[in-house]
Amino acid sequence: MLGKILYLVIVLGLGTFLTRKAIPWILVTLGRLLGFRMKATPITKKRLLRFKSIKRGYWSFLGISILFVSSLFLELIVNEKPLYIRYKEQTAYPALRDWLSLWVPFNSISTFTPKNKFGQAGKSGVDFPFFAACLKDPSLLLPKIEEAKKKLERVEKRFKRLSPPKESDSQFKKDRFKLRKKAVLVKKRQLETLLEAKQSFEKGEASILQTLYPWSPTSFRTDLHKNPPNAPSLKMGVPLGTTPGGRDILTLLLYGFRISLGFAIVVAGIGYLIGIIVGGLQGYYGGWVDILSQRFVEIWGSIPFLFMIMIIASMMPPTFMILALLLIILRSWLGITFYIRGEFYREKSKDYVQAAIASGVSDWSIITKHILPNSLVPVVTFAPFGIVAFISSLVSLDYLGFGLPPGTPSWGGLIRLGLENLKFHPYMIIVPVTALCATLFAVVMVGEAVREAFDPKVFSRLR
Amino acid sequence: MVSYFLRRLLLVPLTFIIITFMVYAVFRLTPGGPIERAEMMLQQAQSSEGGGGVAAGLGEQSGLTKEQKEKLLKHFHLDRSIPIGYLIWLGLWPDAQKDDSFSGILEGDFGKSYRYNDPVISTITSKFPVSIYFGLIGYLASWVVCIPLGIFKALKHRSMFDTVTSFIVFLGYSIPGFVAALLLLLFFATDNFGMNWFPLGDFRSENWDKMWAAGNIWWCIKDQVAHTIIPLIGYMLASFAAMTILMKNSLLDNLGADYVRTAFAKGLPERRVIFLHALRNSLIPICVGIGNAIGLIFAGSFLIEKTCNIDGMGLLGYTSLLERDYPILLGLLAFGVMLRLVGNILSDIILALVDPRVRFQ
Repeated sequence: MLGKILYLVIVLGLGTFLTRKAIPWILVTLGRLLGFRMKATPITKKRLLRFKSIKRGYWSFLGISILFVSSLFLELIVNEKPLYIRYKEQTAYPALRDWLSLWVPFNSISTFTPKNKFGQAGKSGVDFPFFAACLKDPSLLLPKIEEAKKKLERVEKRFKRLSPPKESDSQFKKDRFKLRKKAVLVKKRQLETLLEAKQSFEKGEASILQTLYPWSPTSFRTDLHKNPPNAPSLKMGVPLGTTPGGRDILTLLLYGFRISLGFAIVVAGIGYLIGIIVGGLQGYYGGWVDILSQRFVEIWGSIPFLFMIMIIASMMPPTFMILALLLIILRSWLGITFYIRGEFYREKSKDYVQAAIASGVSDWSIITKHILPNSLVPVVTFAPFGIVAFISSLVSLDYLGFGLPPGTPSWGGLIRLGLENLKFHPYMIIVPVTALCATLFAVVMVGEAVREAFDPKVFSRLR
Repeated sequence: MVSYFLRRLLLVPLTFIIITFMVYAVFRLTPGGPIERAEMMLQQAQSSEGGGGVAAGLGEQSGLTKEQKEKLLKHFHLDRSIPIGYLIWLGLWPDAQKDDSFSGILEGDFGKSYRYNDPVISTITSKFPVSIYFGLIGYLASWVVCIPLGIFKALKHRSMFDTVTSFIVFLGYSIPGFVAALLLLLFFATDNFGMNWFPLGDFRSENWDKMWAAGNIWWCIKDQVAHTIIPLIGYMLASFAAMTILMKNSLLDNLGADYVRTAFAKGLPERRVIFLHALRNSLIPICVGIGNAIGLIFAGSFLIEKTCNIDGMGLLGYTSLLERDYPILLGLLAFGVMLRLVGNILSDIILALVDPRVRFQ
């Protein structure tokens, strides 16, 4: 128990460090390398201070970002596979492999840990929960050993019935003899493995370091000894219950959090980048570029985008990237263009830009070095609300069954499960809906605080 | 100003054509069209025929003969290239007129549904009453709630009341409408919490028509209201937060304006200044929303209609998507795009009517 609390503290502490120190430093360095000055102007400093002074927004921002940054390491925190496993001379780091294979691009890291090397008979991946259980109580292996013994006896009996084939016998008989002989050998080896495992477990030649919550979104809660769905119960070790299929809702929720927020950030980020480019070109060059592209944006904006995505998704089940791409192309870049265009128009007419033009600075550096840093306020104020909108879009699509491929942990999918079990398992709907609303509410709070800090409205009334 | 509206009107057909053409092309380029559907249905029919049918079915694995396939292709104009097929759908391709079945949407013929073999138009219009019922009531209800709330919030700016209602408004903003409807269903339409006060979905009870014919009007009204409340809240929530904040901010803007200062300085009573001078001007942005609300009848109802199992336009679109009923989907899309475009122009016209300061160029 103490170990788990320590684990959680370390995870959150690392998340906090990354969010508050490491990631800002990386962003600033990256910006410097790209040639921006990356130093807050007095106005920006004042705005940031004002944002920090709005407590509910600032704390929501910290909370959400620390959770999200920590969730990038979710494979190391909530995973069926252990951080470290040792059996005799064999050691492996399956959770780390999982994590690396997700984040290292173009890798060929195998996430497979073969059973037969870790004292479990068979060819598939190691059954880690069983391994951990046996470690605590090696007698759990006894029924398996009994079963293996029985199987061996049966196979031996069948083998003994055959006499060794002679040269003149048919090919079928020879093959049958070979197969049965092989079966005996295989069963014998399995029994040996199990007996050996029991011994080594008892001697303490094996160890395992499990993650904080040792279940994956793909694993089934077989340890509950009850048919799913299981209602939430801390005593049984299922804090948020299981789905009718026997998956653990807490892990689904956590992985779903990462997917939802990651999706929204990707869609908003790339969409706003495109929006800034398009809006900037419109506002800077004006004239025909402006008129034509504005008409285009207008036409594009009339597409009922949710309907369109559903049509496309119903024909070819989309992946994460395809879905993000569809949402970016159809929607997320549109809204911001109007604001950036306006900002660029306003800034271009100002003296400092005119002076830069007159002194022959190139268009590119006027746009990127002079105008752009001064016209990002709408982007900052709209981003949180954009993220809310894209999380909701993804949840809606998943809810309707036109979202991420089946098997992906998603909040929309969980809510749909909840609708199907509305009458008898209310927790199945309350849990994901609470998570969704809490997340969205926190992001809205951030957005409100950002708006208040960056674009304050001062109302003066006589009375 | 006239030229501005003319230009806007000219853009309408262009937009309409681009969008519908895109969708038409997507339909044509992806697998799973009516032919596959017909084959699937044929197979189902064969397997349900029982013992004798199976043997016959085994004889011809492909399901459809070549001639049947060609006939189907011709019937749905799938033997033509995409642009020509699209022109046929519009009703602008000459030799399609000779074809018996289909005269194109420009003559008001949207074709026939693959599923029901009914004309698309009648299928869509049959859903109108339900959609308009919820759309209109939802919109009116949000006016009734949001405008007074916004006014109060503006007048009591930065008071306790303002903070508390702001919290509620932001909560409403962060809960998607269908999720709210789902939660309400859970709490007030199931036995889980002992508050089974409302029915679990549907537009009305099954025996509503019978009761109506029997003259049991009071029961009918009660039943209809009980079925309305939960989906209605879901519908309203979409516009609730935006409208309230819009109302509050625009009233606050106007209260800080010079003409209000002048009115106060003249010694007019506060009530008169707020409700006659400031409020009138601050209702302008809300009125402009009326145009866009036309689209609300169509859009955004997929989720709530699926959640509450209401047989409206949204559910029609959803089931058509699942069944790949392209004529209905294209019809719904054309209809939705039209509504949206007309709504946009309507918004501009309303703005020009209510706000004499606006000049369009």
